Amino acid sequence: MLGKLDSNEQTNSIVHPRYGCAIGAAYTVSAIPRGIPLVHCGPGCVDKQYFMLSFNNGYQGGGYSGGSAIPSVNAGENEVVFGGEKKLDDLIKSSLKIMDGDLFVVLSGCIGELVGDDVGSVVKKYQKKGYPIVYAETGGFKGNNLIGHEIVTQAIIDQFVGVYSGEKEKGLINLWSEVPYFNTNWRGDFIEIKRILEGAGFKVNIFFGSESRGIKDWTDIPRAQFNLVLSPWVGLKTAKHLEKKYNQPYLHIPIIPIGAEQTTEFIRKVVNFSGINNGKSEEFIEKEENRYYYFLDHFADFFSEFWFGLPSKYAVIGDSAYNIALNKFLVNQLGLLPVLQIITDNPTEKYREIIQKQYKELAEDVSTEVQFIEDGYIIEKKLLEADFGTTSPIIFSSAWERDVIKQLNGIIIETCCPSSFEVVINRTYIGYTGGLTLLEKIYTTSISSGA
Amino acid sequence: MVRDKSINLHLVDVENREKRLGTIIAWDGSASGLVKQSNYQARALKRGQGCGGSAKGESCKLCELKMPFNQQTMCTQSIVACQVGNIPDAILIEHSSIGCSAIHPRFNVGYKIGLARRKKKVENIQIVSTNLLERDMVFGASEKLRQSIQDAWVRFKPKAIFISAACTTAIIGEDIVSVAKEAEEKLGIPVVPLSCEGFRSKHWSTGFDISQHGIIRQIVNKNPKKQKNLINIIALWGTDYFSEMLNPLGLKVNYLIDMATVDELAQSSEAIASATFCHTLGSYYAAALEQEYGVPDIKAPQPYGFPATDDWLRAISKVANKEKEVEEYIIKEHERVQPKIDELKKKLKGVKGFVATGSAYAHGIISVLKELGVEVNGSVVFHHDPVYDGGDERQDTLKYLVDNYGDIEHLTVSKTQQFQFYGLLRRVNPDFIIIRHNGLAPLAAKVGIPAFALGDEHLPVGYEGIIRVGEALLNVLARRKFGENLKKHVKLPYTKWWLEQEDPFILAKHPEILDEEQEVMVKKEKLC
Repeated sequence: MLGKLDSNEQTNSIVHPRYGCAIGAAYTVSAIPRGIPLVHCGPGCVDKQYFMLSFNNGYQGGGYSGGSAIPSVNAGENEVVFGGEKKLDDLIKSSLKIMDGDLFVVLSGCIGELVGDDVGSVVKKYQKKGYPIVYAETGGFKGNNLIGHEIVTQAIIDQFVGVYSGEKEKGLINLWSEVPYFNTNWRGDFIEIKRILEGAGFKVNIFFGSESRGIKDWTDIPRAQFNLVLSPWVGLKTAKHLEKKYNQPYLHIPIIPIGAEQTTEFIRKVVNFSGINNGKSEEFIEKEENRYYYFLDHFADFFSEFWFGLPSKYAVIGDSAYNIALNKFLVNQLGLLPVLQIITDNPTEKYREIIQKQYKELAEDVSTEVQFIEDGYIIEKKLLEADFGTTSPIIFSSAWERDVIKQLNGIIIETCCPSSFEVVINRTYIGYTGGLTLLEKIYTTSISSGA
Repeated sequence: MVRDKSINLHLVDVENREKRLGTIIAWDGSASGLVKQSNYQARALKRGQGCGGSAKGESCKLCELKMPFNQQTMCTQSIVACQVGNIPDAILIEHSSIGCSAIHPRFNVGYKIGLARRKKKVENIQIVSTNLLERDMVFGASEKLRQSIQDAWVRFKPKAIFISAACTTAIIGEDIVSVAKEAEEKLGIPVVPLSCEGFRSKHWSTGFDISQHGIIRQIVNKNPKKQKNLINIIALWGTDYFSEMLNPLGLKVNYLIDMATVDELAQSSEAIASATFCHTLGSYYAAALEQEYGVPDIKAPQPYGFPATDDWLRAISKVANKEKEVEEYIIKEHERVQPKIDELKKKLKGVKGFVATGSAYAHGIISVLKELGVEVNGSVVFHHDPVYDGGDERQDTLKYLVDNYGDIEHLTVSKTQQFQFYGLLRRVNPDFIIIRHNGLAPLAAKVGIPAFALGDEHLPVGYEGIIRVGEALLNVLARRKFGENLKKHVKLPYTKWWLEQEDPFILAKHPEILDEEQEVMVKKEKLC
C-alpha cells in the first residue's frame, strides 16, 4: 500500500471540507462595520474562502468590504522568488487612497510566510504614521478559519486598541460568540443575543454585524466589566488574553441558548456573574417567557395531534457551537432521541474534554457521546451506518450530507457551514425568538418533505 | 498555413498562457484598437518562439497596464478543480492546505447542476485534500500525498487520479511527479500530476490548459479507432444545446471535460473533429488533438449570431461530409427563428447592454446582443489572448466581431477588478450587464443595474440561442426595480476620490498620485 493508515478511518485526507483556512478570517474583518481586510497572498486564496464562508454558506454576500472588494497582493512568481514586501507596500498605500474604511487589517497567507516576507515591518511603517492598520499572520497551514478568527481579534486588540488602565463600566460586556460568516446564522443570532443581554440590563460590545458600532465597539473593549465567551471553545483564547492584558475577568458559557428554558438560565447566569441588580432581567424574562409559551401553547396542537408521523431520532453533524446548542434544545425542549453526534470544526485538543462533558449531561436522563471528525468521507460513512431504527431520522448538518440523507430517507436541516441549499438573511435559531423559528423550520421541513 | 508543433506534449508542464499566447490582464481602449495591437495572424505564425510571438521584435508584446492596486481573484488551482475535479469516475487530490479546497461547496453546486443538465446521476463532488499543516511545510508532505492516493483508491476505486499542486507544495518543492509515477505503477491507472500552483500564471485560464494537457498526455486513447459520427465539444457545464444543432447532421456530441467520464475523455482522439463554445477554453485541447491525432480543430468563429453559426456549421459539415444537408438546415433554421427574433427586437429597442465575461466568450455574446438590436458600447473581459492555440485566422473572434458588427468603443481588459467596474459602467451607463465569474455583479446591483448571471454558458449558442438570450433579457430588465431601490440605500466601499476618477487605470498611468502627502483618513482614538 502507499499509505500507512487504514483508509476506512480518518487519515490526513479531507473530503467535503467544512471550514476554510486561517486567512478565511478576512471575513472576521469584513464583519466589522467599515473594517477592510487586505490580503497578502496569492490570487485565489480569499476567493475560495468567500465561497466556503459566505456565498455557498447561506448566500450571505460580501457586504461592504468582503467578496471581490478585498484588496489582494495576488502574488505571482516574482513575489515568490524576490519576496512580496514591495507589492504589499504598494497595495497598502493604494488601499488607503481607494478603500473607504475605519480599520484596515492585513492578513498574510502561505506564500508570504513561506518566503519570509516581513509583513510586520511593512505595516508598522503605516502604523507610525497614524493609520488605523494592523497585521495578522494567518498562513493557511496554521489552521482553519476559527483559529484565524482569534489571530485576527487578538491582532486588533494588541495593535489597534492598545493599552488602557482606566475605569471599567459595570454591566458593559464584550461578547465573544459565533464566528462571523462561518456560523451561517451569525447575523440574526447576534441581533438576538444583543437584544437579550440589553433586555436584561446590560450594555454590549458586539463587534460584528448590523448591531455593531464598528471600531467604537473595539476601542471600548478595555472599559468592559467582563468578557462573555458564549461558545464551546472559540473565544476562550481571546478572553484569556484580555484577562491578562486589561485585568478583565471572563465568564465561559459553552452552550448558546435555544428556547425559553435555556435562554432564561443563560440570562440568570450572566446577571449572577456580573452582580447587577436582577430586577430588570427578571421582568424581561417574564415578558419573554409569556410570549414564548403563548406560541408554544398553539404549537402543541400540531405537536401532539399530527397523525402522519414526526421524526424522533436525530443526528447533528457540525461545528461545536451549534452542535451542542442544538442537542441541548432537541433533547430538553422536544424530547427527541440523539443517535449520532459529530463535531467537525477541529477544536483545539485541550478543549475537547469540556465539550464531551456537555454531551454526557444533556439532560438528567439523557447522556450521549460525541466524536470529532473532519473528513466528510468518514462522517458520511458513519451517518449511513448509524442505527436510526425504522422511521425517518432528522439530520442537522451541512449541505454535504444531502446524498447520504437521501439514502437514509431522512430529513435534512442545514445548520452548519457550508449550508449551500439555504438562503439566510436575518434568521436566528437561538434565544427566545430563534427557538420558535427553529421549530417552524424543523416541522415545516418534516411534514413537507414527502408531500 | 504551415503548422509547426506549437504544443509540446513531451513536457509534464504546460507553458503558461502569457508566454505561449502573449495573454494580458489589463488594457483599455476600443475593440478595433485591440484587434490591431493583437496582430493575430502575425502572432499565430510566430507561436512557439516565446513572448507569445517573437523572440526579438518589440512589437511582440501587447502593451499592458500595471496597477499598484488589485483585488482578489480566482487562480489556476481553482480552475483545475472545476475541470478535472468534475469527472465522475476520476478523483482529484489537492496536495495543499485545506484553504485551497474551500471553494468545493461552490463547485459542488455547479457539478450537481451540470450532472442534471447532462442527465447523469446527480451526486456530490469528491475531491480529496491532503490537508497540509505547518509541520508539513518544514518536513515535507509526500507521505501524506501517498496516504491520500491510497485513500482515494480504496474509497472510490477511480479510473484515474489527478494530483494538483498548490502554492505551498510548489514552494517547498514537493515532488508530485515522482509520487504520481510510483502510484501509477502500483495501481495500474493513470495518475496525472498537475502543477497549477496559483502564483505561476497571471491568469486563471492557464488552469484550463494545465487540465487539458494532463488529460491529453495520460488519459486520451493513444491508438484511436475513428468514430465517424463523434464530435468533441469542449465545454463547461452548459445545457446540451449542441445536440439540437449537430444531431440533424448525424453527429453525436462528446462533451469535454466537465461531467465527462474517463472513457468519454479517452475517446476524444477518435472523434471526427473538435469544436467549442469558447476558444479561450477549448483552443488548447482542440489544437493538441489535431496536432497529435489528426482530429481537425474546426476552423471557424464560435457559433453565436447568424453569420458565425452559419460558418461554424459549414466548417463542421465539411469534415462530416454533410455539406448539402447543412445548407438546407441553415435555410430552414433562419426561417424558423427570424420571426421570433423580430418580435424580441421590437421589445428590446433602445436597450443598452454591457458584457463582463471571459475573453472569447464575450465576443460571442456581444454578437448575440447585436443580433437582438441591443446597443453594446462597453465590455470588460477578464483577460485577452491576442491569439489562440488553434492559430487560424478564422478563429480570431474579436476581429470577427468588429468586422461583422462594428466597433466597441470601450473594451477593457481587467481581471474581475470591482473597483474599476464602477467607472466602466458610468462611462456607458447600460440598462443591464451580462456577467460570469463572481465579484462584479454585486457592484452593478448596488448602482442600480440588473445583472444577468450567465450560469448556463450554452444558452446563447446557435440560432435558438439568440431567442433564449432575448427572452432572458426581458426577465432581467424587469429586475431593475431591485437595484433602483437598493442604490438609494447602500454605500460602496470606495473613497469619494476614487469614485470621481474618470480613468479606471489612472494609477497605472500616474502612480505618483499615491506618493502625494496623504491625510490620515481616520485618527486612531486615544484611549488614555
